Amino acid sequence: MDGSPLDIIIFAPLALIFGVILFWFIQLLFIESQKYFLSLISHNHDALIRFSNFIGVLFQTICHALGYTVTKSGISSFFISVNYGKVSPKKVRKGVLEWTSNAFLFIGPFFIPGLLILICLLFLINSDYFLIYYSGYTFSDNFISFGINLYNFSSGFLSFLSTIDLLHPVHLGFLLLLIIMGMGIRPSFIGEKNQEKVDMIYDLKNIRYNILHKPVYIFLLILISYVFFYISILIDNNLYMAFFSILGWLSIISIVSLIITHLILLLIKFTDNIEGIKKLLPYISIPVSYVLCRLVFFYYPIPYLNSISLLLTIFTASLLVILLSKKKTNKFKTKIDMDSLLKLGKGQRDEPKRIIRK
Amino acid sequence: MNQNELLENEQIEKILSPHPLSFMGLQSLCIFLITWGVIIGWLVNFSEFKDYFLNPWLIISLWGIILMVVGVIASLLTIRWRIFFFYFGVFIGGLLTTLLLENSESIGVFIPFYSVSISIIGFLIVELYRRSHKYIISNQRIIFKGGVITKQERTLRYDKITDINSKQGILGQIFSFGTIIPISQSGFGLGIDKSSAAAGVQVGEKKVKFLGLFGGGKELQTPRTRSYYELHGVFPYKEIKKIVENQVQGSVITNYQQEQVAFQKEQVDIQKQMRDLLKKQNKQNDNSEIDEKI
Repeated sequence: MDGSPLDIIIFAPLALIFGVILFWFIQLLFIESQKYFLSLISHNHDALIRFSNFIGVLFQTICHALGYTVTKSGISSFFISVNYGKVSPKKVRKGVLEWTSNAFLFIGPFFIPGLLILICLLFLINSDYFLIYYSGYTFSDNFISFGINLYNFSSGFLSFLSTIDLLHPVHLGFLLLLIIMGMGIRPSFIGEKNQEKVDMIYDLKNIRYNILHKPVYIFLLILISYVFFYISILIDNNLYMAFFSILGWLSIISIVSLIITHLILLLIKFTDNIEGIKKLLPYISIPVSYVLCRLVFFYYPIPYLNSISLLLTIFTASLLVILLSKKKTNKFKTKIDMDSLLKLGKGQRDEPKRIIRK
Repeated sequence: MNQNELLENEQIEKILSPHPLSFMGLQSLCIFLITWGVIIGWLVNFSEFKDYFLNPWLIISLWGIILMVVGVIASLLTIRWRIFFFYFGVFIGGLLTTLLLENSESIGVFIPFYSVSISIIGFLIVELYRRSHKYIISNQRIIFKGGVITKQERTLRYDKITDINSKQGILGQIFSFGTIIPISQSGFGLGIDKSSAAAGVQVGEKKVKFLGLFGGGKELQTPRTRSYYELHGVFPYKEIKKIVENQVQGSVITNYQQEQVAFQKEQVDIQKQMRDLLKKQNKQNDNSEIDEKI
């Protein structure tokens, strides 16, 4: 075991805590950006916003209930709707137990959706990507090992996503799950009412309050982390690294699912600019072009056919959106061209090209 | 609605139909059929397990067993055996067609196509059923019309509505539709949930020597009626609910209004008495004047 004792005893455990906090913060930024995109399309897509809210509220309520169950407070009522969720405990606990159940409520929604996807991934990608690597117990060793673990997992996860076979029912189901989870990693509350604004600052304020309100508990939590790290050293099995690496994986899963949702929200945003029934064309093009690509590659096989099919599908949809957006027609355009309009006699009227609904 | 069907001073407020997603219970039967058909098609033709499915009877057995199991579970959960019978019918249809097929090796292709075709027909029937519903909300009554072949109609005056039950599922909350059940004074719009349990005890090894049966039942009256007799999956739910509730409130006399009516009656009686007294007094005055003149 290289490294000074001071490094191992004091600084080494902090490496992973900082690492996880960093990823969690990046996740928070992506969530904030997703909320911004949702607010951009909210006027035209109420149902989508409500759906996104519901998924978010569902996870939050489940986490809250989980918090009460773990702290043995019990659950007396469980209410969930599209805009609001509420869980009441049977016994009102104070102290550490109250703090723990609050921690579940505030932090749980960031990790629970990722955990569900991780469980699915265990059956879909090679188990080699889940191996935990560790080289030593110093601050730098921990940081490097943490980075390697995240890199290994990310490369496995992203290579799976880039070669995903959408004609495989399980893969298709996984992608849908990833999108649904991405939609609701945190509730947006962009609903019918202007409820209390729940943004990144609100989350951070809550967490800060939770920390400052009971600093002793935070100290206890850090102490437990240190003890966990020392036990890992004693048994020479870096469980500490495994635990924090898994938390890092959850953040990576969440970030990837948020990026995919961003792409979908972008598609929705741009197709909104297209008028009439033509706005459906980019959506229809996605399954049609993918199936066509796969059919062509079935008869003329090439390497990386899944990835190329995916790329071609994305390219076709993007191209359609650009072309259709450029051919935007004027709502107030007349049915007769301008020259003929000038020649219209007295009493003759032009008919509007589009009849605006009364 | 034909103008001739309207009553005197009747004005139509809204003409409604159920939301396309309001019959998701029925549509989900078709969605499952499509999903399972596609999975079977993939499993038999493209998956890494395709070598296990060389026997065509294994394919149809697996397909049928899963359909039956899901049918039984869904029927038990919803207490509607028609789900089981629907899947059973689909399975029997598939089995008979397979028997008639000369080339049984093509069953791996036939089953997915058959499932998807049946589902599409199912979707069309559900859509036809949905479109057969028509709800007319006027200022005097609600008219419920429906029926694909046999036409049914229910007319409900607002003053006959005693209670309004409304419900909105998750899909309804997302897409802003919901069901409103107006319960009439006769109890139209109420259904009964029945649940019962029985337990048997057998003592004796070879023959039944003693048999005891214990049972219990529970009945619960709940707002439930056919989709033709309720405002099923109406959109926008909140607005429609408000209209109906306002109309009901407008035609029901409240306690305060009853007191006001009684008070006004009292006032009218007093005024009548005063009028009679004045008349009497006038008559007496007239008589006394005549007497004086005489």
